[in-house]
Amino acid sequence: MSSARQNQILLSAQLSVRYAGKQPVLRDVQLEIQRGEVLGLVGQSGSGKSTLAMAILGLLDKKRAQTEGTIRFQDSELLQLSEHELRALRGRAVALVLQSPLSALNPALKIRTQLREAWRAHAAGGTTECANAIRASLQSVSLPADDEFLRKYPSQMSVGQAQRVLIAMAVMHRPALLIADEATSALDVITQSEILALFRDLNRSTGMAILYISHDLASVAGICDRIAILHRGEIVECGTTEQIFAHPQHEYTQRLMAALPRILPANPQLQAKTEAAAAR
Amino acid sequence: MTRHEKRVGEMASAWGKAIAVTVICLVSLLKPAAAQGGGELRFCLRTEPKTFDPLKVEDDASAAVRYLTGGVLVRVNRQTQELEPELAQSWKTSKDGRQITFRLRSGILFSDGTNFSASDVAYTMQLLMDPALHSPTGDAFRSGAGNVETKVISPTQISITFSAPVAGLDRLFDQVAILSERSPKKEMAVLGPFMVADYKPGASLLLNRNPNYWKTDEQGRKLPYLDSIRLDIQPNRDVEMLRFKRGELDLINSLDSEYFDKLSATSPQQVHDAGPSLDSEQLWFNEVAKSPIPGYKKNWFRSANFRQAISEAINREDLSRIVFHGHAQPALGPFSPANKFWFNSKLRPQAYSPDAALKALQAEGFRMKNGALKDKDGNEVVFSIITNAGSKIRERMAVLIQDDLQKIGVHVNVVTLDFPSLIERMTQSYDYEAILLGLTNVDLDPNGEMNVWLSSSENHQWNPQQKAPETSWEAEIDRLMRAQASSSDAKKRKEAFDRVQEIAVEQEPFIFLINKNALSAVSKTVHGAAPVILWPQAFWNAERLTVATK
Amino acid sequence: MNSWQKLACAVLALVLGASLAANLLAPGGYAKQYREATNAPPSHAHWLGTDDVGRDRFARVLYGTRISLLLAPAAALLSTLMAALIGGLAGYLGGTWARMAMAVTDLFLSLPWLFLLITARALMPLNVSPQVSALVTFMLLGFLGWTAAARVLCTTAGSLRSSDFVRQARAAGLPGQRLFWVHVMPNLRPVLYAQFWISIPVFILSEANLGILGLGVAEPMPSWGSLLKELEGLVSVGEEPWKFVPLILLVVVVTSFQLLLSRQEGVAA
Repeated sequence: MSSARQNQILLSAQLSVRYAGKQPVLRDVQLEIQRGEVLGLVGQSGSGKSTLAMAILGLLDKKRAQTEGTIRFQDSELLQLSEHELRALRGRAVALVLQSPLSALNPALKIRTQLREAWRAHAAGGTTECANAIRASLQSVSLPADDEFLRKYPSQMSVGQAQRVLIAMAVMHRPALLIADEATSALDVITQSEILALFRDLNRSTGMAILYISHDLASVAGICDRIAILHRGEIVECGTTEQIFAHPQHEYTQRLMAALPRILPANPQLQAKTEAAAAR
Repeated sequence: MTRHEKRVGEMASAWGKAIAVTVICLVSLLKPAAAQGGGELRFCLRTEPKTFDPLKVEDDASAAVRYLTGGVLVRVNRQTQELEPELAQSWKTSKDGRQITFRLRSGILFSDGTNFSASDVAYTMQLLMDPALHSPTGDAFRSGAGNVETKVISPTQISITFSAPVAGLDRLFDQVAILSERSPKKEMAVLGPFMVADYKPGASLLLNRNPNYWKTDEQGRKLPYLDSIRLDIQPNRDVEMLRFKRGELDLINSLDSEYFDKLSATSPQQVHDAGPSLDSEQLWFNEVAKSPIPGYKKNWFRSANFRQAISEAINREDLSRIVFHGHAQPALGPFSPANKFWFNSKLRPQAYSPDAALKALQAEGFRMKNGALKDKDGNEVVFSIITNAGSKIRERMAVLIQDDLQKIGVHVNVVTLDFPSLIERMTQSYDYEAILLGLTNVDLDPNGEMNVWLSSSENHQWNPQQKAPETSWEAEIDRLMRAQASSSDAKKRKEAFDRVQEIAVEQEPFIFLINKNALSAVSKTVHGAAPVILWPQAFWNAERLTVATK
Repeated sequence: MNSWQKLACAVLALVLGASLAANLLAPGGYAKQYREATNAPPSHAHWLGTDDVGRDRFARVLYGTRISLLLAPAAALLSTLMAALIGGLAGYLGGTWARMAMAVTDLFLSLPWLFLLITARALMPLNVSPQVSALVTFMLLGFLGWTAAARVLCTTAGSLRSSDFVRQARAAGLPGQRLFWVHVMPNLRPVLYAQFWISIPVFILSEANLGILGLGVAEPMPSWGSLLKELEGLVSVGEEPWKFVPLILLVVVVTSFQLLLSRQEGVAA
């Protein structure tokens, strides 16, 4: 399996990021994501999770942030790419879903406009193709694709709907990698589980890999194949979900585990494992 | 008479006002002051007085203070325009016009109790004529190089000799307030009816009666009747008007016609139209050879026939009636008929006749085509009239003139400019075609207008600073003006200046339009008021006014 | 479109129609002086009376409306566009660009405008037709009026630049100019609308005041500004109420525009 895995690697990164005159935000972080895999990246706020996401997308402020290392994605070395080449990747090969759907959607634009803009960024097709693509992507996140819905402004939707719109935008071009940065943290528990289920479905149906970033170990547990624990800019532990939950090695991971609530959402199988781990 | 200061800068500001003539003052005879214990008179100065030194006066506000506090040897009676004795009982000017001898009254004290004598007059004249002082009042006496000589013959007699003849010498002393040579209070020791008692810069000035004032009325009562005068410094005319209406002010020295009518509607007995004043409003064309305007326009402007035709096409009656609501008279020439002695009574009003104007222009080769006048080379007759912005009256006049001239096919563009830009175009760049402005005449004597009429003068506005007169008529005016200035024979001077007025009317370098009436407002509580056309219109007889206490 | 908007529409159509039909409604023209009837109160011959040189006020209001209604919004549009481009773009680009734009804005704010306008007047020939003078004046106003709004826009655009939705849109691969036009500009709209609507009456009045520099709509052509100037010396409202017609017209027209356009904007936001 290991040689097969080599070919399966979608992204492999080894990088450090520091802002001028400050402590490094990321220190020699090594990360691999395989095709079709859901990788959880867990750490508390300020640990550098979002910086890592932005670094992969090439959206760090180049004047202020010094990035060292490599980020190999598919066949490209991302840190060597020009802004133009990066832009061609963003949204098409790598997509992003942010935490708060209401601030991540432009309040002054109709849903249709936002989806259309996302489509046009990478497609030259006419109005019909665009409308088809919008309909398809909305359907894939179980949203209505009728005119009435498309005419809505973000403020006229529920948070859950808005988050689905964001995801629809993200999956529109069938990216190989979706980065979900705290994508469910702002949601209530029920919506959260629905969105998690959506991610899992999309992962299964399209085979896209997901880098699932969260501060919440519990929400990660439900969907991730592997989990990496980020602590103070370093990956302190990385392993399959079972390994992490069953045998947390690093002291920080153990503290995270201990902080988990007793009743876990979703996945009863995992719950059992976790309880077993905790009992030991 | 009155202020004679005409220096370059002063000239500019003198141009900023306006109007008028004839003198049938509606002035009622002075009623003997019935009230006793005069009360306080209150009115406004429109600017801060710049100085209390009577020799340095340049501005209106300082001149008002000088008029009320200063004692002079002789005074031009503002009503009769005659020269009357004051501190001097009598005087005599020498034949050559260089020397004047005064016989002074005796037993007169300054406000601080110091004695007045001939040596004070000598002291004052020496100070006044000191070139280092740059006194505008002194400049009026300076007709040649050299110093003034003063000779105290006795404590009540003095003769003053100038290095060159000074035309109209005696009347110039109307402006010279005598200072005390010995008083420790310097210029604050005065000989006039009032003295400065309190001054709050920016707010007000209080004048109290001078207890040592020498004059008495016909019944032997000491003048002035008033106990005090309060002068508020108030540049805003709306506020001045409002306060007058509320009874907080007793008089407004000069009103414009709009305010006059408003006030007249509610209290007709409080407004006074003293008739045409000395000031005029006029239009003139740029005749400067080196000016940056097209040559064909210069040809029009330098043609007397063109200027006359324009003059003839302007309806002066309408200007007076519509813009000034009737409080102005069509001007007859450079001097207003209000100037009783110097006005040339042979002058007749310019008839309004667009038809005659058009005929005259056609004789010059101008042709009317589709309602537009063209000169013989086919250039359309279009010119701009500039005037100072913010003067509603001039803007209105320009609009009427624009409409009048349209009737003879002349297209006028009216441009209002801020005053500095206008003066710059008028005196520096000569980048203008026609200007509409007023001339404030403070001087009854033609000597005060030397700087306007001499072709070499920088205030010879239509074509200033000529090295030699460019036209024969300007040469003649130069000659006549010099002749009158160097003569002390009043009759000869008058003859010369009459001719100047005739030439001016023939040639119309200035198209004189109207003379504004002198308008003022005086409260019913003030007794003895008799507003006149000469400055200071409403308070010229302040020493004989009383205010009834409420 | 609600009933208010319909009303606003009708008012604007009426005002615009009347001003365009001025030659028919007021055949005497705006410059004809009825010198025997100056300062007349309203009558059959002069519906709004005459001004102080006897010109029919109704005709002047109609022709003045043409000038002001055409040129003031044009100038407002110019200043708004400049504010959007300079303030908005600089704020969006951030960093050096923003600092440069703000420096230019500060410079503009600190310039001695009176002096520059005087210079502008000096550069213009004296013999310009009233039409050209009016056009130049309003364009000048538009060219100068953008600074205050640009500051606000720069700050607003700056905060938009780091907003989540712009980041999200960048992550979706939108090119910079699309981001600016599609995502940033619509969010600047409230400021732009405010700038536009405030500018119109301000420019109308400024034009009247520029008369003192020899700029502005020259005689005998009327503008709302010169008509409003008639109100200057008015002592009481009751005295000559018909003189207030231009003011009422200004208020009504600006309000109508606002009703009409801000409602649509309200839906958009």
